[in-house]
Amino acid sequence: MPENDHQHPKRTLAEENVFAQNPRASFVELGLATCFSFLRGASDAVDLVTTAWRLGYDAIGVADRNTLAGVVRVHTEARTAQVRPVIGCRLVLLTGEEFLVYPRDRAAYGRLSRLLSKGKMQDAEGDWQAKGACDLTLDDLADHAEGVQLILVPPADLTGLPQRLRTLVRRLPTLRHLAASHLYRGEDRARINALDRMAAQAGLSILATNDVLYHVPNRRPLQDVMTCIREKVRLDEAGFLLEPNAERHLKSPAEMARLFAEWPGALRAAREVADACAFRLDELAYEYPREVIPADCTPQEYLEAVTWEGAARRYPEGVPAPVQATLGKELAMIRKLDIARYFLTIHDVIRFAREEASPPILCQGRGSAANSAVCYVLGITAVDPAAHQLLFERFISEERKEPPDIDVDFEHERREEVIQHIYKKYGRDRAGLCATVIHYRPRSAIREVGKVMGLSEDVTGALARTVWGSWGTEVGEKHVAEAGLDLSDPLLRKAVRLAGELIGMPRHLSQHVGGFILTERPLTETVPIGNGAMPDRSFIEWDKDDIDALGILKVDILALGMLTCIRKALDLVAVHHGRRLDLATVPQEDPRVYAMLAKGDSVGVFQVESRAQMNMLPRLRPRTFYDLVIEVAIVRPGPIQGDMVHPYLRRRAGTEAVEYPSPAPPHPPDELKSILGRTLGVPIFQEQAMRIAIEAARFSPAEANELRKAMATFRSKGQIGRLEEKMVGRMVERGYDEGFARRCFDQIKGFGEYGFPESHAASFALLVYVSSWLKCHHPAAFGAALLNSQPMGFYAPAQIVRDMREHGVEVRAPDVNHSDWDTTLVPDGRGSVAVRLGLRTVGGFPQAAAGRLLGARDEPFRDIPDLQRRAGLSSAWVRRLAEADAMRSLFIDRRQALWEAGGLRDAPDLPLFRETPDEGEEPAVPLPPMPLSEQVVADYQTLRLSLKAHPMAFLRRSLRAQGYVSAQDLAGTRNYQRVKLAGLVLVRQRPGSAKGVCFITLEDETGSANLVVWPKVMESFRKVVMQARLLVVEGHIQREVEIVHVVAERLVDRTDALLRLAPEGFVPALSPADEVVRPVQGSARSPQPGHPRDARIIPKSRDFH
Amino acid sequence: MSGNVIRFPARLAGAEPDPPQPSSARSPRTTAPGPSGAFPVAPPGRRFLSLHLPRFAVERRIARLARRGSLLQATTPLALLAEGTHGPVVHATNPAAEAEGVHAGMRAVDARALCPALRMEEADPRGDAEALGDLALWCRRWCPWTAVDGTGIMMDATGSAHLRGGEAALLEEVEARLARLGLNARLALAPTRGAAWALARFGGARERCAPKDLPARMAPLPVRALRIGDGTALLLRRLGLGTVGDLAAVPRLSLARRFARAEPAENPLLRLDQMMGRLAEPLHCPDDPPCFLARAVLSEPVEDPTPLLPALSDQLCTMLGARGFGARRIALTIFRSDGTVARAEAATARATRDPAHLARLFDGRLDNLDPGFGFDLLTLGATVAEPLPERQPALDGRRDEGEDLAKLVDRLSARFGPRALLRPAFHESHVPERREVPVPALGPAPPVPPPAAGRPLRLFDPPEEVRVVYAVPEGPPAQFVWRRVTHRVTRFAGPERIAPEWWRDRPGTRLRDYYRVEDHEGRRYWLYREGLPDDGRGGNPRWFMQGSFG
Repeated sequence: MPENDHQHPKRTLAEENVFAQNPRASFVELGLATCFSFLRGASDAVDLVTTAWRLGYDAIGVADRNTLAGVVRVHTEARTAQVRPVIGCRLVLLTGEEFLVYPRDRAAYGRLSRLLSKGKMQDAEGDWQAKGACDLTLDDLADHAEGVQLILVPPADLTGLPQRLRTLVRRLPTLRHLAASHLYRGEDRARINALDRMAAQAGLSILATNDVLYHVPNRRPLQDVMTCIREKVRLDEAGFLLEPNAERHLKSPAEMARLFAEWPGALRAAREVADACAFRLDELAYEYPREVIPADCTPQEYLEAVTWEGAARRYPEGVPAPVQATLGKELAMIRKLDIARYFLTIHDVIRFAREEASPPILCQGRGSAANSAVCYVLGITAVDPAAHQLLFERFISEERKEPPDIDVDFEHERREEVIQHIYKKYGRDRAGLCATVIHYRPRSAIREVGKVMGLSEDVTGALARTVWGSWGTEVGEKHVAEAGLDLSDPLLRKAVRLAGELIGMPRHLSQHVGGFILTERPLTETVPIGNGAMPDRSFIEWDKDDIDALGILKVDILALGMLTCIRKALDLVAVHHGRRLDLATVPQEDPRVYAMLAKGDSVGVFQVESRAQMNMLPRLRPRTFYDLVIEVAIVRPGPIQGDMVHPYLRRRAGTEAVEYPSPAPPHPPDELKSILGRTLGVPIFQEQAMRIAIEAARFSPAEANELRKAMATFRSKGQIGRLEEKMVGRMVERGYDEGFARRCFDQIKGFGEYGFPESHAASFALLVYVSSWLKCHHPAAFGAALLNSQPMGFYAPAQIVRDMREHGVEVRAPDVNHSDWDTTLVPDGRGSVAVRLGLRTVGGFPQAAAGRLLGARDEPFRDIPDLQRRAGLSSAWVRRLAEADAMRSLFIDRRQALWEAGGLRDAPDLPLFRETPDEGEEPAVPLPPMPLSEQVVADYQTLRLSLKAHPMAFLRRSLRAQGYVSAQDLAGTRNYQRVKLAGLVLVRQRPGSAKGVCFITLEDETGSANLVVWPKVMESFRKVVMQARLLVVEGHIQREVEIVHVVAERLVDRTDALLRLAPEGFVPALSPADEVVRPVQGSARSPQPGHPRDARIIPKSRDFH
Repeated sequence: MSGNVIRFPARLAGAEPDPPQPSSARSPRTTAPGPSGAFPVAPPGRRFLSLHLPRFAVERRIARLARRGSLLQATTPLALLAEGTHGPVVHATNPAAEAEGVHAGMRAVDARALCPALRMEEADPRGDAEALGDLALWCRRWCPWTAVDGTGIMMDATGSAHLRGGEAALLEEVEARLARLGLNARLALAPTRGAAWALARFGGARERCAPKDLPARMAPLPVRALRIGDGTALLLRRLGLGTVGDLAAVPRLSLARRFARAEPAENPLLRLDQMMGRLAEPLHCPDDPPCFLARAVLSEPVEDPTPLLPALSDQLCTMLGARGFGARRIALTIFRSDGTVARAEAATARATRDPAHLARLFDGRLDNLDPGFGFDLLTLGATVAEPLPERQPALDGRRDEGEDLAKLVDRLSARFGPRALLRPAFHESHVPERREVPVPALGPAPPVPPPAAGRPLRLFDPPEEVRVVYAVPEGPPAQFVWRRVTHRVTRFAGPERIAPEWWRDRPGTRLRDYYRVEDHEGRRYWLYREGLPDDGRGGNPRWFMQGSFG
C-alpha cells in the first residue's frame, strides 16, 4: 500500500516513557556534530541522542559547524529521551581557528545567533554573502563573545599555537578552555600533554571531547562517503582527506574517563561548561509581537473585544446561541494557552489585505483554522460554525503544546504585497521566512554514493531507476535485483547500503514557500538568518517543524492562483455587468451551478476540474454546498484506500441502506450517528476518523493526539501497527465489525501528511462554488480571468478557450488595434460580450512593449510602419506581433505582416530619405497564401492555441475514411462497443491509488476523451504512452452513469501525422498536469514541490520513470 | 591539434598507417596555402567535396569500444551524454537508439525511462572535434586543401578527381575508405561550397552537380540547405519561402532590405549567393602539421637495416632540430621488395633529438623483423613530437644527469617493454603498505611524497608475526619475540589506530593498532596489533612487526 508516496518520513522519537533519566555523568560531550554540519556529521539527532542516553549521558552538547540549524532537532529528541541538551555551535573563523561555543543564557544565545547571522548575511568585506557561506573574523567573535563560553579546538599542527593562544586569550576574555581529543592518532598522549602545558601557560585548561562525527563506529563509511561528496573526489583517490580510523564516534563517559585517566581535569572542565549553560531553547517561545494590541488593554481583552465585534458583523440577526457558546469555549482555551496575540497578528495581516491594500486582496484561511469559530468571526476563515460541525480540538488542544497552525491563501500575483507589508510592519529583523530542509532522497543518494564509489553512470542510473515502486523511501534490494544488477558484488552492496543510510540526511537549506515567523525581539537574536540563492532573499535556519517544536509564532502566507482568478473575474463582472460581488455575496445554492457541475462541466473550476474529479461529479451529483465539501474530500488517498468511496456513492444513489455501525448492546447503539450522520454513515473526513477513534475505540485525548502525530509523521511501522491493534482491538471489543474497524484505520493511514479535514474541504468548497458560479453565469468573464491568471490550474490556455467557445462565448484573436495586455471583455455588437485575447498570449512579447503600444494607440494604427513609429517598438517586437497574426485589423494576414515587418529598420531613417526607404521603392512581392493548416500550426507556435481550427480537423477526413470515431461520437456509443479513436495527448496520469492504471486524456476538434490503460496493456505500449503526442487507440467503451471511458487495447503513436501538418515538427502543448513531462516526484533538486498543503486534490501518482 | 604535441593523423580507430605516397603526390606543400579571395567570382570548374558525418561522435565511440575489446551490437541502443543545465542530456545516438525513440537533446532520465536497455556513455565533444580535425588532415590523401566545416569536412577537390579515375570513382573511394574506419559519410561534389554542403545533407547518395545544373538542382532543396539557423529557416517558411527556388525568385532588393544586416548564418541572401557562386567563399585550410620522416631509398634490396639506422637517425634529428622539435615516439618502417611492410616503434621518456640515442632504441629489436628477400625503402619517422628548444649547457660543462637516466629508461623500456620498467609512486593511503604503487617508468615523474612523521624507513613485506606480551585488551606491548629473539619494551608511543579501507578490503579485515617501541637495547621497531578482542572478526588479536627504525 502506498504510504505517503515519495515522502521521506522525518525521524523522531516516540513520546513514550521508555527513557528513564540517567544519573549525573562525570562527563558531557560538547564537540558533537550532527548531520546539519552538512556532509561532515553522519548521524542525525535521533541516533545521537538515543546513543547518548544508552551510554549513560545525562546531558549532551551540540555544536554544528557555523550553524544552529540542527539544534532544535537535538533539543526535541533530547527532551523526549530525558537528556539535557546543551545548545552550542562550532565556529570556524576565516583565519582557520575553530571554537566550540556555548552560550550561558538567553542573552548570550542571542549574541551567538546575531554573530552567525552577520557571517551568513555579509561576507568579510560587508557585501552580500553567498548562499551557505559564513564569514567570521576574530573581531566579529570578540564583539559577540560576552557570556559565551569559548573552547578553542587546536589545529592538527601545534607549532605556533602558544603565541596565537596569547593573542586569542587577550582578545577573548571568555576563552577558558582548549579542546583535547584522544583519537588514536599515535601521538595522542604527547599531544594532550603539550596542549595541557600550552593551556596552563595561557591560563586556560584543557577540555576533553571526542570531536564526534557519528554515533557509532559503523557510520565511518558514510562519513567517508560524505567527505568525498563534499570534496568531490572518488573514494580511492580521497587518501588523507579521510579519517584513518572510526574513533570519532560518541563514546561513553566511562570510556572517556579511561582515555583521559591522566587528565581528570579535562573531563571536569567539560562538565563545568555544560553546567554553566543555563540556556534552554524553550525560552524562545511565545515572544509574540505587541504592535497589534492597543496599549491600554491586554491581548486577551482586545481579542475578546474584536471577536464579539466580528461576531456581531457575521451574524447581523444576532449571534446564535451555539455559536456564542463555542466562542466562549474557544476564548477560554486561548486565554489558558496565552495565544491571543497570535490571533491578533493574523487578524492584522488579513485586515491589511482586505482594507489597506488597494484594490483589496482576496484571502482566505485554510486548514485546521477553519475549525475555529473565532477565526470565522475574525474573518480569517469562511466556514460558518453555525452551519458546520467544527472540531476545535483539532485546531488547538492542550495536549499538543504547540501553537495553532493558521494558513492563509492570498491571490498569487499579490502575495508579495502582503509579504512586503509584514516586512514593513515588523521590520526585516523581526520577520523572516522559514527554511525548508532539503534531504537526500533515494535518487540523489544513490547517484552521489555511486559516483563516489566509482560506479558507472549506467549502474547508478539503473539503481536510481529501481526507486520507482519502492515508494521512494529506500533503495530496496529486491528492486536492485530486478534491475538486473548483481547484489553479490560487494561494492554494489555497499553502495546500496550506504545510499540507504544517506537517504534522509539533510543536504542543504532552502527557502520555505510562505512560512513567516514573527518575534518580539530582533529575529537574529532568536535564530541565525542566512542568505538565499536569489538576491534579496534571506531565511532563518529552522524549518517549520523546528518552529512548531519551539512554539514560535508562525503564519503561512500562501499563494493561490484561483483567488487571483476569482478577483479578476469579479472585477470583470463588475465592469461589464454592473454587479459588484465578493466571496461572501455571490448568490448561494444556485441550482444552475449544481446542474452544471453534475454534468461534469467543470473546466477551469477550482479543484474539481481534474480528470478524476470530473469523473466523480456525475456520480456524486452535487446538489448543495455540503456535497461540494464531500466532493473535494472524497477523491483523496484516504477515502480511496479506506474503500469509502463506493459505499458512499451507493448510499447516495439509494442502492444501499444507510446504516451506522454500532457497538454491542451495553454501549449506546447510535454513538457514531452523530459523527457519520452527514456522510451517510461512511467516514470521509479526517476528523470523522479521529472521532471514531475517540468515541468507538475510546481513545483518550492523549492517545488520539499520538495517533494524529503518528499519522502525520509516519513513524516506524511498529508504532503504527501497535496503534492499529489498539484501535481495532478496542472497537471489536466494544462490538464493532472488525472489517469496519480496519477500514477506518486504513483511512486514517491514507490521510498521512496530506490529510483532508472537513474544515479544510469546506474552505476549498467555497472557492469551488464561487468559481463554478462564475463559470456558469459569466463564462466569458471567468475564462478571461483564467487566461489572465496563467499559469495555474489543470488545463492549458487552449483548453480554456475551447471550453469558452463550447459555452457560446465568442473569442477573438489578439490584435494590435483591439487587444489590451490582459484578455478583456468587449461588446460583441449583439448586446452581449465577447472575449478579446490579450497581447500577453503572444509568445515572447514583453509587457513593457505592450505598454508602449497601448500608450500610443490613441487612434488606430494604420499600417505596420505607423505602428512601429508611434509605439516606438523594435522591429523584433513588431515581428513577434506579426508572427502571432495580430495585424488583421491592418488588413494584412500573418504572412504579409511578417514580410512587411521584416523590412523595418530599428535606427531612425535619415531625414533626407524619410519619405522613401533608402533602397528605393520596394517592388511588390507575391507571396503564396498561407494554407490553413500552416496558419494553425503557426498559431500554436506563437499563441499556444488557435482560434482558426484544431490540428486534428485536418486529419479528420482520412480518419473518417479509416473508421475512426471522434470524441463527440463517444456519447452515442454502447457499453463494450469497440471503437477506434485518435487525438492529441492532453494528460497522462498514473495515480498512486490506482494500482498502476494509467489514465490518458485525448483531445480532438470535437472534444476530449478519457482512456483507461490497464497495467498489462501499459507494459506492452509503455513507449507509445510516454512518447506519443498524437495517439491512436483501439479499445472498447466502458460507460457508467454519464461517464464514458475508452478502455485501451492497442495504442499506436502517430505523431508522425502531425509532421505532415508542419514538416519542421509541431508539438502541441500538454496540460500542466501531465506527469510524463512533469513527473510528480519532482527532481532531485526540489524534493518538496511547493508547500505540502498546496493541496493536490488528485492523489500523488507514481512516477512514470 | 591539442597543445604542442603533434601526432600523425591516425588517431581514428583502425586508421592503419598509410604507406608513404610516391613523393610527388604527398610532399609537404611549400607554396602559399589555400585559395585566397583573389580569384574571379565563380571560377569555372571549381569542385568542392562536402563530407557529412551524421554519426561521427557515436561511431568514434563504437570504434573506441571495439578497440578495448567490447564489440557493440548494431542493435544495442547507445547514447552519448553531455551535461545539460538540468542534468545530463543526450548528445548523440546510434540508429538503434533512435529507433527506440531516443533522440539528441532529450534528458538522460527521460531517455532511460523510455528505453531501459539504453547504453549510456559520456560524450567527448573536445575529443570529437580533435578527431575531426585529424580526419580532415587525413583526407589530404585525395586533395591538398581540406578543412573542418562545422560538423563535417569540406575538401576542395578541384583538379584532383582525375587522379582517382574521375569524380564518381573519387566519391566512391572516399566513402569506402571512411566506411573502413567505421564512419558513415554522406558526400557530394558541387561547384560551390554551399551547394556541396547542401547536397551532402539534402541530396542523394554521392551526388555530383555540374555547374550548369546548379540553379536547377538547388531550387527544390529546402531553405535549411542554405546553412542558416533554425529561426531564420522558420521565418522563411512562415513567409511561404520553403525552398531555395522560392527564395531565389524573390527580388534581391526585397531580400537585401530584410536581411542585409544579419549575421552570415542568418542571412539567406548571402548564403544563396555563396551557393550559386555569385559570392566567393574561400576555404581556409590549416597547414599540414610538420612531418618528420627520414627515408632511405635503396637501389638494391638489402637484408639488414641496422647499418642504415645511424644515417636515418641523423637525418630525422636534423629535421627535428630545424623546427625546434624533439621526438617522443618514433617508428621505423621497412618496405620489403615483395610489397609487405614491417614496423617497429619506440618511445622516449622526454623529448629528444639525439641521433645516437634514437638509433640505439632499436638495438636488438630489428632481429625480429623478417626482411624476406630484402627491402628497398626504409623510413624513420617521429610519430609524436614535442617542441624542444635549444638549451645551453651549464657553464661548468656538467651534463644534466637526468638526461642520462631518461635515456637509460628509454633503452630499457624499448628493449623489455614499457611494463617491465617500473618506478615507485606515492599514493595517499592510511595503510602503510599501500602508500607505494608501481607505475611505468616511461610516464611523467610522480609527485614527491610529503615526509611521513613517525613512520620507519624500512617496512617488512609481508609483516612478520611476533609473539607479544601485553595487557589485555588494548594495552601496549611489554615484551615481544621476533625472529626467536626476545625484546623487552622499554618505551612506546601509540597506539595509532588504522582502520581497514572498507571499500577495498575484504569484509572481516581487522583494524590495526600501531606502536612505536624501543627495546632494552635501544632498537626501535614498528609493531601492530591486528584487531581487538571483541571486534567480532576473529579470535585473539595477532601481532606483527611491520618495520624498523634506523
